[in-house]
Amino acid sequence: MIINKAVEGTTLFITLIGRLDANTSPELEEELYKSLDGMDSVIYDFKDLDYISSAGLRVLLISQKQMNRIGGTMIIKHVNDIVNDIFEVTGFTDILTIEE
Amino acid sequence: MPEKSVREMTEEERKVNSLSSRTFQAVLILSLILSIVAIAFGYHLYSTGVRDQYMERTTSLAQTITSLYSSDDFAEYADKVMTIYNEAPEDVRNQPDSEAYKKLFENVADEKYMEILSALNQVRINNDALITLFGVLDEDNRHFVYVMNAEQIQTGVSPGQWVQIEPKNMAFMKKGKTGATSATLRMSAGVYVCAGNQAIYSKEGRVVGNIIVAVSMDQITDRSTKFICQYIVLLAAVAIALAYFTVQNLKKEIVKPIEKLTDAATAYISDEEDTDKNYFGELEITTGDEIESLSLIMADMESDINNYIHNLTAVTAEKERISTELNLANRIQADMLPSTYPAFPEREEFDIYASMTPAKEVGGDFYDFFMIDEDHLVLVIADVSGKGIPAALFMMASKIMIQNIAFLGHSPAKVLELVNEQICKSNHEDMFVTVWMGILDVNTGIITCANAGHEYPTIRRENGNFELFKDRHGFIIGGMEGMRYRDYEIQLNPGDTIFVYTDGVAEATNTSSELFGLDRMLASLDRAESNDPIEISIKLMESINEFVGEGSQFDDITMLCATYYGQNYQRKPMFKEITVDATINNIRTVTEFVDAELEAHGCPMKKQIQIDIAIDEIFSNIAHYAFEGTGKATVCVNIEDDPKVLTMIFKDNGIPYDPLVAKDPDVTLSADERSVGGLGVFIVKKTMDDVHYTYENGQNILTIKKIL
Repeated sequence: MIINKAVEGTTLFITLIGRLDANTSPELEEELYKSLDGMDSVIYDFKDLDYISSAGLRVLLISQKQMNRIGGTMIIKHVNDIVNDIFEVTGFTDILTIEE
Repeated sequence: MPEKSVREMTEEERKVNSLSSRTFQAVLILSLILSIVAIAFGYHLYSTGVRDQYMERTTSLAQTITSLYSSDDFAEYADKVMTIYNEAPEDVRNQPDSEAYKKLFENVADEKYMEILSALNQVRINNDALITLFGVLDEDNRHFVYVMNAEQIQTGVSPGQWVQIEPKNMAFMKKGKTGATSATLRMSAGVYVCAGNQAIYSKEGRVVGNIIVAVSMDQITDRSTKFICQYIVLLAAVAIALAYFTVQNLKKEIVKPIEKLTDAATAYISDEEDTDKNYFGELEITTGDEIESLSLIMADMESDINNYIHNLTAVTAEKERISTELNLANRIQADMLPSTYPAFPEREEFDIYASMTPAKEVGGDFYDFFMIDEDHLVLVIADVSGKGIPAALFMMASKIMIQNIAFLGHSPAKVLELVNEQICKSNHEDMFVTVWMGILDVNTGIITCANAGHEYPTIRRENGNFELFKDRHGFIIGGMEGMRYRDYEIQLNPGDTIFVYTDGVAEATNTSSELFGLDRMLASLDRAESNDPIEISIKLMESINEFVGEGSQFDDITMLCATYYGQNYQRKPMFKEITVDATINNIRTVTEFVDAELEAHGCPMKKQIQIDIAIDEIFSNIAHYAFEGTGKATVCVNIEDDPKVLTMIFKDNGIPYDPLVAKDPDVTLSADERSVGGLGVFIVKKTMDDVHYTYENGQNILTIKKIL
């Protein structure tokens, strides 16, 4: 998986390419741990994310909780059908802010 | 550094090694050596000659002088001088230059004395002599006392002067006392003279004194040196001229022709268009020596090589043509054998697989299978005698005949009998073929067979092992007209397998010349866990290849395997499996393994990704929780057709744990209330069609099914 990062002010942009699974989720967690401090907004672009497993959901949940704690926002854009199915099955559609 | 080849050398580099320059050097050196020897020898001869001439001259001069005056005249003055000399006090005598000594002799030089002295001097001047003198030897004191010294005409006449004679010159002086002699003498440092010595005898025969004539050696040396210089110049000129002309001649006679040969060879080598130009043949070398012979031989060689190339090109073209045709024949033969599997996809009652691995380009083995009606499957395996094209042609004829006659509806024995009749009619080459033929009634499982000299078939009953079925053999086909064959029946029950083969299987040979043999064949067939003909055949082929190793294949290896299932046979699913270390890193390996199966069965992409996610969840759970240290996990996969269902089984011998007993997470909670655990198994349950857990034989076994 490839993780592309960009910062604009206090907004963190993260683009994920590939698979967010048990193998690759620790990389994303590591990246967030390094970059999330001082941010009040995270925007994920899932345009090129093929699929997500529970390990990936866990990292998204951690990220969402942290934003909630500081009153920030977290947005996920361009979610494909497969990833969206997983979000629905696991009730994550109600937790996350998903935009087209 | 490797040496350059001549072709890579530049013109200058070649010049260094050229024949001309080497010859020039050799001739020059030879000439120089010859010259030095000649000069040394010539100088010796010359100088000896000159010296001898001088010595003769001085001697004859001395004699001439003695004849100028009578011996009495000489004797008179000799006696006068010697009397004064002998009577002089020793101390005065020892200083001949002193005035006192000279004074003793002042009355000696009278008119007559001067006349003789002048004559002596005249001889001296006329003959370019250094000294002419008349004197007497005082042997006791080794003094030579001058009676007359021609030199003194210029320096002042003073008789009685004497010189000390060096001991080594005494011999010369003494000899002069008794006759005539000559010698080269050292007068003083660096001054050499050639001297003649002639004694003068009185009437009584007494030696009154000696005439000495000396010529300076410088003259001789000068003449010799001049001679040497001229000689050297002449010889050097001759040597260089000789070397030059030799080289010119060499160039014309040897180097030029060799260069022509070299040029011809270079042109021949660089001619890449294979023209038939005769580079050596066109050379005109008429030196009449070995080089001409060489050029003629090269011309012959060139024409031979050209002929060889022509032949080789023709032979190569012919070989390529034959090879192309053989490959084509090979393809045609292979195309004749049914090779699409599954061969009868619409038939549930049986499955069949056959293969032939030829030893040469084309083989003499063949197999065949075909339905002659809705209920009857014909199986044929055969081995034609011999190999290569003849065997292949015979095989084609046999195969077509068997098939055509089989379609007439005869039993195998009758088919073989009719084929034998046909083949024997026109078999002038005495070829033959062994055939095993069976006709399976797909409804009853009864297979009616006949064997014309072929290997025993083998049968495996369901859940049993392969065993030879020792049937009764008939005679080979093509051997003799009028042969009869006998049918026999084998009852195949659902799940039973029949395997037939050619002798190439048992006779496969390894590098130690061991045969594979029937026992190994049966054991290898039993390695197959299912009764799938493909698996059985492939397992056998693997065993043969492993056994043969680097050995070469001598005979075609042909096999045919058929399994009878009957009507309602429940086939055992075939699982493919992979066992890996249970680590996160190996999720990818397992995913790729399963994906390969899914792709082979045309699984839709979305379902494949759901399955990939399921693998990720299950395998990461095993990797994280099953073992305290590390362990292994096995994943088995099978995809059934119709309906297409994937079955995945995850096995590990880790800590017993049923992932399905945990309560499903509440998916309606808000983010902050949610915990991160339990989602993985939940996703699997939701996306897969069936998830089942058991713990058996110390293994966690999680079975997942997904309809594709």
